Amino acid sequence: MRSSTSIIRKKLLRKGAEANLYQGYWFGKKVIFKHRIEKAYREKTLDLNIRAMRTLNEGKALIKVKEEGINVPQVYEIDMKSALIIMKYIEGQRLKDLMSNLINSQKIQIFYDIGRQVARLHINGHIHGDITTSNLLITDDNQVFLIDFGLHEYSDTIEDKSVDLHLFKRVLISTHGSDFKSCFHAFLEGYKSEYKLSEKDESKIIIKNISAIERRGRYVKRDKKEHG
Amino acid sequence: MKFNTKLVLGIESTAHTWSVGIMGFNGEVFSLVNDTFIPDKGGLHPYLVKEQHLNNFKKVIREALRNANCKIRDIDLIAFSKSPGLGPILKIGAQVARILGQLLNIPIIGVNHCIAHIEIGRLMCNIEDPLTLYVSGGNTIVSAFESGRYQIFGETLDIPIGNMIDMFARDIGLSHPGGPKIEKLAQESKNYLELPYIVKGMDLSFSGLYTAAKRLIESNSLNKIYQISDVAYSLQETAFAMLTEVTERALAHTGKEEVLLTGGVAANKRLQEMIAYISKEHNAKFQAVPLKYAGDNGIMIAWTGVLRYTAEEKNNYLNIKIDPKERMDNLPIPWRGEKK
Repeated sequence: MRSSTSIIRKKLLRKGAEANLYQGYWFGKKVIFKHRIEKAYREKTLDLNIRAMRTLNEGKALIKVKEEGINVPQVYEIDMKSALIIMKYIEGQRLKDLMSNLINSQKIQIFYDIGRQVARLHINGHIHGDITTSNLLITDDNQVFLIDFGLHEYSDTIEDKSVDLHLFKRVLISTHGSDFKSCFHAFLEGYKSEYKLSEKDESKIIIKNISAIERRGRYVKRDKKEHG
Repeated sequence: MKFNTKLVLGIESTAHTWSVGIMGFNGEVFSLVNDTFIPDKGGLHPYLVKEQHLNNFKKVIREALRNANCKIRDIDLIAFSKSPGLGPILKIGAQVARILGQLLNIPIIGVNHCIAHIEIGRLMCNIEDPLTLYVSGGNTIVSAFESGRYQIFGETLDIPIGNMIDMFARDIGLSHPGGPKIEKLAQESKNYLELPYIVKGMDLSFSGLYTAAKRLIESNSLNKIYQISDVAYSLQETAFAMLTEVTERALAHTGKEEVLLTGGVAANKRLQEMIAYISKEHNAKFQAVPLKYAGDNGIMIAWTGVLRYTAEEKNNYLNIKIDPKERMDNLPIPWRGEKK
C-alpha cells in the first residue's frame, strides 16, 4: 500500500484553458498533475461529460502514442472521476515562449523535428486535434515533446490528417506570422521525410489536401480552384 | 448648427439591416437610424431584402440627418460596408456611397464589416486590445490583433451561431428574430439533453448540433419524455459552451487582458454570463458591446471609416470595390500599426 505522502501536489504551474497544471511528486518521481477543473459556466451534466471523456481520451492516447515511440509524457495515473492525469514532468519550455529566444537555424531544426513527430502520429492513425506552439515542449537538449491530447482522435483518413496540419498552419500564421513561411516549410519537410519511411507514403496527398480545406473555409476566394 | 468636428456618414448594408449613422471624427455619435428587413416566413431572401433597402435608403439617410440636426452638405466623409456580406445588398451601399460622394464632392471609403464590429466595441467599451468573440447571424469568429492584423483564431466551419438559432426557432414556429425567443424559452428548462459538442482546435461546427436538435423536436418523445423548452435549453447550453471554450482557449493562447463580446447574439444574457465567467478566470476585463452597437449598425461603419481614412487618406476613391467574401485577417490595420 502506498501512503498518502507518496503523492504530493506541490505548486500550481499554469492555469490553462481547460486544466490546471500542478507540479508535484508521485512515489519519488517528479510529475505533472493535469486537473481538468470544473467549469461553473457550463451545464453540470455537460461539464462532467466533457471533463471525464477528455481525461480518459487523453490518458489513453498518451499511453498508446508513447508505445509508437513518439515523444510524449509517460502517464502514471488516470482518474476519470476527478478528471485528473498524473504524468511525467518534462523539463523544458513551451515552444510559444521559446520562439523569440531562438535563432533561425534552431527554429528550422525544431520545426523539422516537429514535422517528423507529427508524421509518426499520423502514420500510426493518431490525430492530435490541437497542435499549437503552446502544446509543444522543447527540452534543454532541443527534443520535441507533444502534449495535450484532450482532442485526440483515431483516424486514418487523409482529410483528418490534413485538418490536423491545417490547424497548426493557422496557429503559426496568427501567432508567429513573421516566422510562418520558413517554419511551416521546415515542418512539412520533416513531415515528408518521416512519412517516406512508412509503408504507404501519403504525405504529398495530405499536404495537397490542406489547400482544398482552406478553399472550403468561409470567405475564401474560390476562383483559383484546381481541377483534377 | 455648427459642429466642432468633421462629420462622417456611415452606411451599413451587408444583410438584413440598412443603417445610417452620423458621427464626428472625434467619436461623438449624432444619430443612428436602422431599417431592418423582417421576413414573413423563412430566412433572408436577398431579392426581397434588396427591394426593401432600395425603397427605403433615402428615407433612412434623411432621418439620420434630421436626428443629427445637420444637412447633407455638412458631411465630410462617406463610409460604407464593402465586405463581407450578400453581394446584391453590398452593392446598394456601395452605389449610394458613390453617388453621394460624387454629388457632394467628398471622399468615400469602404470598410470591412467584421473589423467594424471590433472597432466600434473598442470605442464604445473604451478598451484597447481585446480578444473578441463576434457572434451573429452571419459570422462566428474569435479574433485578436496580432502581427498587424485582426487574426482569426477560431471560426465556424459550417453555419454561424445566430443562423443556427434562427433556423431552430423557425423549426419550432417562432418568428424572426428567433434569438431572444429561444433565450426566453430556454429559461423555462433546466433539463439537459445530450447533444453533439463539436470543437476542433479553436474552430467550431454547429450543423450537427442543429440536426440533432431538429431530430429531438421531430421525435415522438417530444412532450412525453421532454419538452420543447428542454431542447431549446440544451441547444443553447451546448452551443454557448462550445463558444466559451474556444474563447477561453484563445484567451489563454494570446494572453490578452480584455475580452469583447459583440454581434447580434452578444445580446444573449446567458452567453454574456459565460464569457464574463472565463474572462474573470483569466483576470481579463470583460465587456459586451451595448446592443445598439453590437448588432449591425451604421455607426460602426462610420467609425471604422474614420480610422481607415485618417490612417490612409490617399486611398479615398480606391478601396471601394465590394467583396462579398473578404476575410478580415487579410487586411492590414494601419491605424493600429504602432502595436506588435
